[in-house]
Amino acid sequence: MASKGMGVLLLLGIFAVTVSQISAFPTPAEDDKAVVYNRRLTEERPIQEQIAEADDVKAAVESADTKPAVEPKEVKEAEPEQENDDFTLLKSLAEGQRSKETNETPVRESLEKEPYFPDESDSTKNRRLVEDYDSTKMENDDPESFRQVDGTPLTAEDIVQKIATKIYEEDDRGVFDRIVSKLLRLGLITDSQADSLEYEVAEALQDLITKNAKNNEIEDLGEDYPVTRGDQDDQNPDASMDVTGSPNRRYDEEDDDEDQAAIDDDVDRGEGDDTVDNTWDRESEGEGEEEERSEGERDEGNELSPEDGLQDLQYFPNFYRLLKSLDSEQDAQERETLITIMKTLIDFVKMMVKYGTITPEEGVSYLENLDAMIALQTKNKLGKTLGIPGIIPPTGKTPEDDDNTKAEAAKMQKEYENLKDSTKEEAPSTETRDHPGKSEIYLEAIRKNIEWLKKHNKDEGKDDYDLSKLRDFMDQQVDSYIDKGIIEKGEGETIKRIYGSL
Amino acid sequence: RGGRSGTELRKALVSVWLQCPSITRIYTVGESFEGRELLVLEMSDNPGTHEAGEPEFKYIGNMHGNEAVGRELIVYLAQYLCNQYQQGNESIIDLIHTTRIHLMPSMNPDGFEKAASQSGELKDWFVGRSNAQGVDLNRNFPDLDRIVYGNEKEGGANNHLLNNMKKAVDENTKLAPETKAVIRWIMEIPFVLSANLHGGDVVANYPYDETRSGSTHEYSASPDDVIFKSLAKSYSQFNPVMSDPQRAPCRKNDDDTSFTDGITNGGAWYSVPGGMQDFNYLSSNCFEITLELSCDKFPAEDTLKTYWEENRNSLVNYIEQVHRGVKGFVRDLQGGAIFNASISVEGIDHDITTAKDGDYWRLLAAGNYKVSAYAPGYLTVIKKVAVPYSPAIRVDFELESLVERKEEEKEELMDWWKMMSETLNF
Repeated sequence: MASKGMGVLLLLGIFAVTVSQISAFPTPAEDDKAVVYNRRLTEERPIQEQIAEADDVKAAVESADTKPAVEPKEVKEAEPEQENDDFTLLKSLAEGQRSKETNETPVRESLEKEPYFPDESDSTKNRRLVEDYDSTKMENDDPESFRQVDGTPLTAEDIVQKIATKIYEEDDRGVFDRIVSKLLRLGLITDSQADSLEYEVAEALQDLITKNAKNNEIEDLGEDYPVTRGDQDDQNPDASMDVTGSPNRRYDEEDDDEDQAAIDDDVDRGEGDDTVDNTWDRESEGEGEEEERSEGERDEGNELSPEDGLQDLQYFPNFYRLLKSLDSEQDAQERETLITIMKTLIDFVKMMVKYGTITPEEGVSYLENLDAMIALQTKNKLGKTLGIPGIIPPTGKTPEDDDNTKAEAAKMQKEYENLKDSTKEEAPSTETRDHPGKSEIYLEAIRKNIEWLKKHNKDEGKDDYDLSKLRDFMDQQVDSYIDKGIIEKGEGETIKRIYGSL
Repeated sequence: RGGRSGTELRKALVSVWLQCPSITRIYTVGESFEGRELLVLEMSDNPGTHEAGEPEFKYIGNMHGNEAVGRELIVYLAQYLCNQYQQGNESIIDLIHTTRIHLMPSMNPDGFEKAASQSGELKDWFVGRSNAQGVDLNRNFPDLDRIVYGNEKEGGANNHLLNNMKKAVDENTKLAPETKAVIRWIMEIPFVLSANLHGGDVVANYPYDETRSGSTHEYSASPDDVIFKSLAKSYSQFNPVMSDPQRAPCRKNDDDTSFTDGITNGGAWYSVPGGMQDFNYLSSNCFEITLELSCDKFPAEDTLKTYWEENRNSLVNYIEQVHRGVKGFVRDLQGGAIFNASISVEGIDHDITTAKDGDYWRLLAAGNYKVSAYAPGYLTVIKKVAVPYSPAIRVDFELESLVERKEEEKEELMDWWKMMSETLNF
């Protein structure tokens, strides 16, 4: 593959171009994210405890003890009316929780829909209903834990986790949509809170995927994903987009902490992820598939081990493809550069969103476009595979040579036909086909030389040229040329044979 | 042992050699990244050797692998010269007897293979341009323009700017194998005149390619601007397409405002750093121009005949340009050759040096010049010369070494003393 330098250049070009047209990309603030992450990871609470809490809260609610804390007025007022709805919601969530608990690993706690109260570091945006409720259940360092409407003090990340898990299992972003729209409708959360919720859940989702990839073998990933992708992928790429290609996912990858040392990651990938690579190979073989930016490709991105440190980048399947094509030693430098560029780009976008320069939606579409552009440019600039060789044959004499024009033209035609038929890597059959052509041409050339020598010597009054001397000289030259790789052994033999036959 | 070379190309060169073995020789200057031999066909009356006083010339094609016309034309040229020689064409015979012509059809065979393997209509503007490593060979040469521009301001050498050339090349990891091979080739053979063949436009481009200020477009004259313009014109004037003042630009939005009479200064057209053309001029005695021969980088093979017709006369005539200006030998008083003596022309801030036999060739446009020969440890000699358009004027220098001069002076002194003493009787 040539133009690898081009690959870097083109990515830089894309970087430059797209940065100039940058649009928003959503991501929650880095700090918040990290904090949330940590909390979620370290403070996962057992299901039973939460069920118990739910029951307690239910009881508390029924005793009409509900008391919104710093919640805005509108929520307070809405609350009593919605209580029942929420209660039902909670109940169903709790039940779902119970039914699933036997199947779950701690990591994969899955609950039915629960109301989710986004975690906000900015206290002015708090909209928790029952913050004051059960302070013992609050996280130590979390002044913002939420509880359900009925007072169950689920931590924010618990809720996020549960929703994320649900989405993960059902491979259906609709889960989230349903919850959020309900919450919005109920006035439990504002729009901006809904946005934040998206981020949180997206992160949680990403985390789940990471964990699962770590816990399972790669083969399992293959199993899991077909399950999650299901028929959606085959029939309706857009549907699968809901899960894998959603802006949430995008957020996830952006928010992921990146592992360092891409090279190490490459090594890891090379060692452990053969099946993954095979998947890529299979996919990348078909040029036609490259044509579509099907969301299925994103799924493949998921199949790559996310733990390889390029997590952020796995949702750029075309970029990944590009990286994968640079898998030789010489390309290590190039690959590193590309990865660095891409990561820098992603970080940049994150910053833009963080500082509000762009909206989350803009950021998503920007990055989606980026990957699409990579696909397009890769296709254009790094060339297609397997074309018909269109080699221009400079054989034969120049058009000037009247003597043999026709014969030469015919010969050239034949040669060119032969060449056209052969593949780029010349098969031995092509060689033998060419041999008659070569011999003829060489014979012709040698004959001309002999004729000229005869005439030249006659003109100059010299003795007739010495054929044997000439033959010896040519033999010597031929050997020397073979040694230096100028002509092939076969060709040399042909030439010697011709001289021998004169 | 090389890998495979372009079969067709090799076949054509071998055929020429078989037809004209007494005036041709095939050799290789090295291998491409993928192991293809960088083949050269040399043509002279004594192939394989430098004859004292005989100028060396080269054509290099296809350094951008997807610019294929030059590659094919060079092969046609080889065939033409061989045929014409055998058919008794006097000027061709004379040319071959007085010049050593080196023809390298493809400096980037790897790129060419890549470009050629694309299917017909899709030959891309870029695919195959670079070598197999993705290196644009015409940006890969050491940038000596920067150095000479600095020297112009602050003083310093005006020629042979690559210090410790061999070492610099061997140890430079950024140089592609093709670049390295050509640099070594330039170091080894005392080339006088050269052209490198490209495609994508139609013009004869001359130094400097890189702008002095670094801007993208700026006329960047070399000290030999006058002769370069003349050399470039000598090519374009015989190419009806190149010299056509009414010719439309190759593409609608092309900026060809810098083109006049089919020639252009490199920097005025667009700045190119690290190019082979300027490298020749600034690292060696070779004057090189860049020939853009076709709007279409990789046209269909049935157009080649037309391109050959358009370029044949130019290609031959340009070789003949090597016999212009001043040439000769620099020797010491005993007749021994002085190697690496400098030949300076007053008013032109670019010196050339003598080759191993003390021979030199200084391309100059018609005019009156003061030419001086200098070598360390020798006394400089200045000569006035009237130079016609062509052929080259022969000017030899005999340099007296400083030691000899001292000896002479001492002798003179002794003679004087002797005379004095005799006269005065002591």
